[in-house]
Amino acid sequence: MSDDLILELKGITKIFPGVKALDQVQFQLRRGEVHALMGENGAGKSTFIKVITGVHRAEEGHMYLNGQEVHFKGPKDALEAGIAAVYQHPTTYPELTVTENIFMGHEFKKNGLIQWRAMNQEAKKLLDRLDADFKPTEEMGALSVAQQQMVEIAKALSTNAKIIILDEPTAALAANESQRLYRIVDQLRDEGVSIIFISHRMEDMYRVASRVTVFRDAHYIGTYDVDKITTPDLIKAMVGREISDMYPKPDVEIGKEVFRFEGMTRTGYFKDVAMTVHAGEIVGVTGLVGAGRTETLEAVCGITKADSGHVFVDGKEVHIKKPADAMKAGIVLLPENRQTQGLILRWGLGDNVILPIQDELAKGPFKVKNEKKERELSKKYLEEVDTKAVTIFDPASSLSGGNQQKVVVAKALVQDNMKVLIMDEPTKGVDVGAKAEIYSIMGDLAKKGYGILMISSEMPEILGMSDRIYTMCKGRVTGCLDRRDATQELLLEMSMEKGNNEKKEAAE
Amino acid sequence: MAGKSGREINAVPQNSVKQKILSWEGGLVIIFVAVLILGAVISPTYNFFSVFREMPKYLCEIFMMFAMGYILIIAEIDISVGAIVCLAATLGCFAGNAGAPLAGVIAVCIGVGFLAGCLNGVILTHFTELPSMIVTLGTQIIFRGIAEVSLGSGGSVSMSNSKIIMPLATMVGPFPLVFFFVAIAAVIFIFSLSRTTFGRKLYAVGSNHTAAHYAGIPVQKIRMICFVLIGTMAGVCALFYLSTTFGANTTTGQGYEMDVIAMCVFGGIATTGGKGNLIGATIAGFTIVCLRIALGQRNINTQLILVIIGLLLIISVLIPRISEVLGNRKRRAVQG
Repeated sequence: MSDDLILELKGITKIFPGVKALDQVQFQLRRGEVHALMGENGAGKSTFIKVITGVHRAEEGHMYLNGQEVHFKGPKDALEAGIAAVYQHPTTYPELTVTENIFMGHEFKKNGLIQWRAMNQEAKKLLDRLDADFKPTEEMGALSVAQQQMVEIAKALSTNAKIIILDEPTAALAANESQRLYRIVDQLRDEGVSIIFISHRMEDMYRVASRVTVFRDAHYIGTYDVDKITTPDLIKAMVGREISDMYPKPDVEIGKEVFRFEGMTRTGYFKDVAMTVHAGEIVGVTGLVGAGRTETLEAVCGITKADSGHVFVDGKEVHIKKPADAMKAGIVLLPENRQTQGLILRWGLGDNVILPIQDELAKGPFKVKNEKKERELSKKYLEEVDTKAVTIFDPASSLSGGNQQKVVVAKALVQDNMKVLIMDEPTKGVDVGAKAEIYSIMGDLAKKGYGILMISSEMPEILGMSDRIYTMCKGRVTGCLDRRDATQELLLEMSMEKGNNEKKEAAE
Repeated sequence: MAGKSGREINAVPQNSVKQKILSWEGGLVIIFVAVLILGAVISPTYNFFSVFREMPKYLCEIFMMFAMGYILIIAEIDISVGAIVCLAATLGCFAGNAGAPLAGVIAVCIGVGFLAGCLNGVILTHFTELPSMIVTLGTQIIFRGIAEVSLGSGGSVSMSNSKIIMPLATMVGPFPLVFFFVAIAAVIFIFSLSRTTFGRKLYAVGSNHTAAHYAGIPVQKIRMICFVLIGTMAGVCALFYLSTTFGANTTTGQGYEMDVIAMCVFGGIATTGGKGNLIGATIAGFTIVCLRIALGQRNINTQLILVIIGLLLIISVLIPRISEVLGNRKRRAVQG
């Protein structure tokens, strides 16, 4: 099968106003292989996928399907040719049923009537093939992201797709859900489907792919056998430079306790959660999606209300009723979703950064904006986190994911009474170069004596950066491990349903 | 302290004169001047003095326009203000007829507006999932209903002693008193929006209320303030309405909410929130007032005035779209 190519692209160039999004790139997909496509944000992966699926038309280049040159005029042509894409954020109709979503656009019809029974049966067959644990008649909106993704895959299969493109499928999944996705990918491959797998996660690539193609700055860098390329070499191919230390965890002397909360309870979300953070300490919080990690910490920060619980900063109890109270107490939250929670995308970077402290800088009883000071401070902190931007007036929407995240970090740092930084999935959707920079900022903050609490579903990051790791499951803390004792397997096990009490005790 | 790469980020603001003239407000000034010229052409009596003399009856809406600007910027809407004007004017009139002095009438009008705004605000901040369009549609019917019930079968009330309210209708030189109040309101509202942190909070709430909440901005408090503010301004509007009409009836304030929304949108404020400013809205408001005076002097009937204002509104929301399309076409042509 070595050179049985199902899809080949040569010399693809795509130009958008002012930018070359793809410059003479090539790609070869063998029949029945899982081929990873990697590169930093902005490397051109998404554009490339859109060229394959007929959304964009390339200015130059050729595309061959089964050896025959093809020209897609639109997404429909690609679908008919057996190419389907599953995007990171499922683009579904939440009010409709699973069946309706699967057959949207290609319903079974007879005399103009929709054949519901036949469709439901076919949907059930597809879902069974994926080993899904939900019914075709369920409403889409009631499903988890992972389940919605399965529907999207089922939809791809329903069109008899021979090539399936998965665009960052694991970005929104927890570890166990990713495992399940891997198994589905394996199974599809065994059934003869060829898969292009886009991901930022190294673990994804090692687990599912046999070959990997790397793009950088709109150029094709190379295609490698997964079992022959080392991680540092791959990172170098993606970033264009060597990253000597992905997780620059500094050796910091852990100081006294800066932050503690206990008895945090909100019925239906989390129960009796307690955590402690010391000065200079990076504490990881892991668990499956839905374990209540974000919910708990958002309640601690006053974003939502807890039924009960006590929060202490520097040993003194603080009463937090609203987000401003937490900020006043020195607790800063870096929210999970930087685009909807962390930033006002159409605003300039500077206005975003100083938003939490504008009242403190303001002059006089009428709180007149101190624009000069605001500009100075936002410039200082944006430079400190090394944001790739031209001016502080650039709209936040114009930056890449990694740089947007740096702006959110600057927005946290500008609060100079900060004592604890709570980071919720700080590197989600961030490319590897910017990831390393965010880790290095975390390390610097720990050195300066801040306490850091990091929620993350990415095991390498949790294991690489944390001094101590809490695991949560179903709204409860199921254990706390020192970094020396933690392994991926142990953490996963503690995150699973039967949070093992012996292990917890053994660890403590 | 620069980052590891030592990259510098420019923080010098750039405001060129050319940009200012080409802005939306610049265009509005041109339209405003065009309306004045048009007025002078079509009506021989249209001049500085006659415009100011006739201004009071149109000017009272402008009070609400400022607050409506805030409401639209936080991505809400209030369509109950016309009904609040009706209710406040009615009750204010009753108060005067019952023997209350000017201060009493002022208190009743503004108090009714304040309470009506509070009602809208309380409902919207306690049931945050409700859209303001629907809630204020409901309260609009309630407010107008109360007004109509209290007006009784005649459907109107007039001031038995119009002397009470006359001090508000005095002229200071060529200017009506209400003009100065509008000017003061304009300064306060424009300054708060553009120069204070409160103004930025309005834009934050309107652009992304979730991010605003995470940044520690009291989103519900801001919404409450804005709805109370617009209710209160509707009360002020009712007061000056009384000072020009000396009475109220069931159609009082009808369509005012649409007038002020139209002024705001014409002035460049987006109904989707977070965009626009009150300088544009103020120019737009005065443009419409001056246009009305001109058409009124020619005895052009009010329905036609509405058609013209409607057209202005549609054109004003289309202009950005048209320039966008033209810009794209130009860009494509360059790449050709």
